[in-house]
Amino acid sequence: MTEVLASRSFHGLAAVDAIESVHDDLDSLWLDVPFVQAMDQMTFTTAVIESASNIVQHAEPAGQDPVELGVDITVRPTLLQARVSAYNAKPPFGLMEPATPGEHAESGRGLALIQALVTTVTFERQDGTNTWVLSRTSQG
Amino acid sequence: MEFSYEVNGSYAEVKADGRLNMVSAPKLREFVTDVIAGGSNRIVVNLENTAFMDSSGLGALIGCLKAARQAGGDLRIAAVQPQVKMVLQLTSMDKVLTAYGTAEEAFSND
Repeated sequence: MTEVLASRSFHGLAAVDAIESVHDDLDSLWLDVPFVQAMDQMTFTTAVIESASNIVQHAEPAGQDPVELGVDITVRPTLLQARVSAYNAKPPFGLMEPATPGEHAESGRGLALIQALVTTVTFERQDGTNTWVLSRTSQG
Repeated sequence: MEFSYEVNGSYAEVKADGRLNMVSAPKLREFVTDVIAGGSNRIVVNLENTAFMDSSGLGALIGCLKAARQAGGDLRIAAVQPQVKMVLQLTSMDKVLTAYGTAEEAFSND
């Protein structure tokens, strides 16, 4: 595995305020790695915020503890990667396939958008934690 | 995100400055609903200072578009920045939400 050039980590309650914190983390991250092209920054930021928002909006607690959001982002020379996790969460309900909502639908576009923005999306579930791993091969 | 509006002749221009995400999307719906209730059914959302929009923000714009049309008017967007343009294109919603270069152009041919 190649060298990590920059990273950011967020961990907190899966609440609305967390989204702005994660976005601030991303904005500051790009200042550390200005060689990452604007298109890569834009697409990756959008995918991470979509994924984190999906957890805040939809993740349900598995027990008494509230769902917590974790976002761990790493920048390597040609790879941007984020592990976006829902802790203390039930397994995701239903299909995780992207929907194809009608043109006047007001929701349901998030998963398709994420898939269009990154190179790969994988899902892991371990010890009550759902993790989406978003990877985008950057142009360096 | 901060919202403001002004009535310019035949339309109301709504400015949405900041990130249009799941935090601000409900506020945009509420703001535009109030503008429509105030008597303006032709709305231009000026996105000049909207640096970021996600699918929640897009959903809010679509909700506002429907509300304007239900009131007998329309909603158009203007001064779209690169990230917002990308989201509109990837979701094919650029065909539904017509983007104009400036707020002035949006209703200039009606």
